[in-house]
Amino acid sequence: MKVRLSKDPMNVIITGVGGQGNVLASRVLAGMLVNSGYYVTIGETFGMSQRGGSVMSHLRISQKSIRSPQMPQGGADIIIALEPVEALRVLTKYGNPDVAVLSNSRVVYPIGVITGELNYPSLTEIQDILQKTTAKNWLIDATGEAVKLGNPVLSNIIMVGALSATGLLPIDRRSFEKEIARNMTADKRPINLLAFDTGAGLI
Amino acid sequence: MGNEAIARGALEAGVNVASGYPGTPSSEIIESLAIVAKARNLYVEWSTNEKVALEVAAAASFAGLRSLCAMKQNGVNVASDFLLHLASSGTRGGIVLVTCEDPGALSSVNEGDSRYFARMLEIPLLEPANFQEAKDLTRWAFELSEEIRNIVVLRSVTRMSHASGNVICGKLPVKFRKAHFVYDGSIMDPLRGPVISTPVVAKHTLQQEKLKRATAIFENSPFNTYSGPKKPELLLITSSACFLYSREAIGMLELQKRVGILKLCCTWPLPPKLLKKHLNSAGKIMIVEEVLPFLEENVKTLAAGMAGEIGIKKFYGKMDGTLPSVGELNPDIVAAALAKIVKVKYKTLSTAYTKELRKAAALIPARELTFCPGCPHRASFWSIHNAIALDGREGFVCGDIGCYAMGALFPATGYHTTPTLHSMGSGTGLASGFAKLAAFGFDKPILTVCGDSTFYHAVIPALINAQHNRADITFIVLDNSGTAMTGFQPHPGLTVSAMGEAVPSVDIAGICKAIGANVAISDPFDLEGTCKILNSFLADKGSLNVLIMRQICALSPEKKGKKIFDVQVNEALCLGESCGCNRLCTRIFRCPALTWDRSKKKAVVDEVICAGCGVCYSICPQKAIIRTEAKKK
Amino acid sequence: MVSKAAKPSSQEILKKNVLNADLCTGCGACVNLCPYQVIYHDRTVQLHRCDLDDGKCRAFCPRWEIDLDLLRSSLCDSADLTTEIGAVKGYYLSRAADPKLREIAQHGGTVTALMELALTEGLIDSAVVSAGNQQREQSGFKAKDKTSLRENAGSKFVVSPTVAAFNQIAAENSGNIGVVATPCQALALAKMRLKPLQDDAGHIDKLKIVIGLFCGWTVSQEKFQALLLLNNIDPATITGMDIPAGKTALVIKTGSGEKIISFDHVESCIREACRYCLDSTAEFADVSVGSARFGNEWEEMRGWNQMIVRTARGSQLVDLALHRGILEVRKAPNGILKELKEAAAEKKRTALKNIIRKSGSAKNLLYLESSDPFVNKFLEKIKR
Repeated sequence: MKVRLSKDPMNVIITGVGGQGNVLASRVLAGMLVNSGYYVTIGETFGMSQRGGSVMSHLRISQKSIRSPQMPQGGADIIIALEPVEALRVLTKYGNPDVAVLSNSRVVYPIGVITGELNYPSLTEIQDILQKTTAKNWLIDATGEAVKLGNPVLSNIIMVGALSATGLLPIDRRSFEKEIARNMTADKRPINLLAFDTGAGLI
Repeated sequence: MGNEAIARGALEAGVNVASGYPGTPSSEIIESLAIVAKARNLYVEWSTNEKVALEVAAAASFAGLRSLCAMKQNGVNVASDFLLHLASSGTRGGIVLVTCEDPGALSSVNEGDSRYFARMLEIPLLEPANFQEAKDLTRWAFELSEEIRNIVVLRSVTRMSHASGNVICGKLPVKFRKAHFVYDGSIMDPLRGPVISTPVVAKHTLQQEKLKRATAIFENSPFNTYSGPKKPELLLITSSACFLYSREAIGMLELQKRVGILKLCCTWPLPPKLLKKHLNSAGKIMIVEEVLPFLEENVKTLAAGMAGEIGIKKFYGKMDGTLPSVGELNPDIVAAALAKIVKVKYKTLSTAYTKELRKAAALIPARELTFCPGCPHRASFWSIHNAIALDGREGFVCGDIGCYAMGALFPATGYHTTPTLHSMGSGTGLASGFAKLAAFGFDKPILTVCGDSTFYHAVIPALINAQHNRADITFIVLDNSGTAMTGFQPHPGLTVSAMGEAVPSVDIAGICKAIGANVAISDPFDLEGTCKILNSFLADKGSLNVLIMRQICALSPEKKGKKIFDVQVNEALCLGESCGCNRLCTRIFRCPALTWDRSKKKAVVDEVICAGCGVCYSICPQKAIIRTEAKKK
Repeated sequence: MVSKAAKPSSQEILKKNVLNADLCTGCGACVNLCPYQVIYHDRTVQLHRCDLDDGKCRAFCPRWEIDLDLLRSSLCDSADLTTEIGAVKGYYLSRAADPKLREIAQHGGTVTALMELALTEGLIDSAVVSAGNQQREQSGFKAKDKTSLRENAGSKFVVSPTVAAFNQIAAENSGNIGVVATPCQALALAKMRLKPLQDDAGHIDKLKIVIGLFCGWTVSQEKFQALLLLNNIDPATITGMDIPAGKTALVIKTGSGEKIISFDHVESCIREACRYCLDSTAEFADVSVGSARFGNEWEEMRGWNQMIVRTARGSQLVDLALHRGILEVRKAPNGILKELKEAAAEKKRTALKNIIRKSGSAKNLLYLESSDPFVNKFLEKIKR
């Protein structure tokens, strides 16, 4: 399903905390888009940053060419966050008045907050910032739904499912099925498909 | 992924042998090749260290095969001794040294720029500037290596190796080479003589002729490209990921008609004719690269030599401070520099919006790196800290490279003990040195840690040194059964090779015993037992004591997602902030899965991220943390 | 940021003013109340940083902010007070009536006899005494019966973190407790009895009797062990130790006979903190017991104890012991009490001099209030 992008390139950031499945989410999403014929450039970091730190993947989706693996500041069109404060962190660097933010509402506390040295903003504060600084935003309990499905790690796929339902990108259930058929062992596909559908249902 | 593209390029070139040592951002090259090793008739290994890896690859080259050796920037330093000799002796089958570097040190403890090795050791250097080139240039590097009969360095960076983009694959060769090592020819015969660097002057002359051949080839290489106007107002000369940043920056400022980009893939030696042509076309030149001004120095040297013909140019780059010579670049940094030079406005967001973002930024807590939930290192360092505190002589730990390097980071735990952190194996060498300072009034117990993979990589000589020179140290192996930081590559302590074959394991305890050390083994999750052994070691003067703390990494494939315990907090017993506890678990132990409920003023387990190691149970003074054997799923 | 103000924490205060100032007696008062302080060998170690500024560790430390006036007025009858040896309700020369107990005792066996009585009468459920391991490293030991009490009778010379054991046992729902305490330990327990922190009220109420030991000094376990090794004495073979009156040597009894270590050597092992201690008779115990060593009558008196009854609780126990015939008492020779007082006063003067030398000023008495009337009497004597 290759359709004209509303903007070229479309700049997507997937962010979260090391270990939340950020990399997998970006691979799956990129795979779905590449299968549909787009150029997708992903910039990501892993290694040390995965150890409890903030992680971020930049996806540059284009009909014409590959792009820089780092997008310009203020240049995000869509931010997908597996953790709410990470949505804000990315927003403050890559946000602009037209940005759409889709964030998981489940909190992963940074060490500084656990020790009591730092504060974690309240859900109201987070919602307030999103209202003031984004064109569209969704805050969904992907982790809660994933736990219901039996594995919190599925929250990343739930987020991809939710993203498909926002209509922001040319992706749908069929492109997801196609992608997991290529990259996932058969035993894992049903639960991931269920997670995708659950996510889509949250929007 | 860039690394997969490099691996694919090697496969298309018909690589026969691939070796390396894991290191971010290089590891996926060898991993990708290992997956197809059997199908493509390859030999792939994770070597003990980078120097050995390069020697393994060189042997294949000497036997006429094509070989690739991959490592991160630090690895080139390790391999450099052999590399110097290899560059002098020359090679036969195509051999490519891939170095994946880490500008900005996103997953390193330095941002070393190893391009200088190519210049210093007089070997060609290639730098791909996009994913397609990562593949194509790798394939071509083998041809170049065979053409000049010397090793070729291919340099990637994190934003190339760990970035992904569309790549069109080429054909894979159908024929496989056979190994032949011929050494009965004359000493100066590059294909039939012995492979040595003597007679030195004659061989050095030969080596420099090879480099000249490479220069000539580079003049016409299709990988060096120019895009932009014929007479640009400003010429950008760039390489690697910086090409993508530069192109993006030009697009952001809509300067396509005013600024040109000369993208070089062949960055040492620089092709002078090509450079002359482009330097001639513009009066202002900006060199965009990471990290040090390597390209800038070389371009300027050429330009100085040609000044009579091309005139005096105005250069911008790192040397004049237009661009930073530390950290990684990005499109914004390049755009800001461009905007300044060509005097255009660099569009920004409205002030009202930026103000909102700034307000938001003030509310965002920093997220510091820490040990994962269930990480054995958190427990290990707890015992190490306590043993040092109990000992009371202000002992300290010389740190080393691996996840446990976070023992040196304060926010990671509330009990850091590691004031030094250098290259792999250096902790043991430093400890060995510190332990000899007693004669100068420095009488503190010295400890050092290393991971299991690091032990084989570079620790053994330092450990022998400590024993032989009677350095009284407590040496700790944080054995988590794999090269955890880089993704669980096997190492000599394990019984499976990179290619998945059964191999004999080399026993760390056995090596230490053979060196003459006292060796004990503990489970770091047994805090009390581990601490007791450490204290007995610290009190035992005059001998080399080794404690192997053995517990598998919480992220390892065999352990991930499998909890030993279900852990909960009994709120009625939790003392919280009261005197008698004062949040020992959340304030000092700092497991990300054990958080603090500010309204209830009680500790609480985040079951989603708890790995179920149960160590927090052992530290709770109230026994308010309850652990029960996990139900099997 | 919600971090706490930069007021020094209790732990920092103790580290700076007690541990690093060599004033820590190793009594264990700050141990087993929380996970932050532990005793290792006979050193108090702060394992991790605690930022509370009103901690029990500081509140109970016998070497920080000691208000002797308040302790005396709260715990003693003012009529009983003496400047040299604290409150004296009664003064006896005593010994255990049981000859078997006297055989294993250091002197008269009074301490063990009183504790046995307290246990058998149900006054307490356990007694905390000092017990050593083979390296003569001491720890508080919970004795629940005669046998275990008798196994640990005798002078140890090495300080024991007895109060740490009390803290632990008190937190274990273990019923009423008696403690055999050195003067510093008795002082820590007295501070606790003033209940400076509400949430521990229940614990300290379990403390029913404190039998104090006369104490001139203790030795550091690590230094003492080194000294024993230097003299080829295996600590594990030691059966007893004594300083005979009038002798300047420590007699060590081992399985293979006696060994004598010159007092000069022993002195180098004395715990630094002991040099700043004013109390040689455990002034804040309920009953204090010591040897009855008198220069001229040593041989005759060595089997007896001096016993000072200080509080009503102490009186009750001693009266009961006399009534049951557990203790034998005899008339004290003339001048003994005076001799005891003089020795105690001498220790106070020496300690005060050491304190002033350390602080650099007679106005700064480290852990003591310079305004305390009793302390002031001795200060004036030093000045003269």
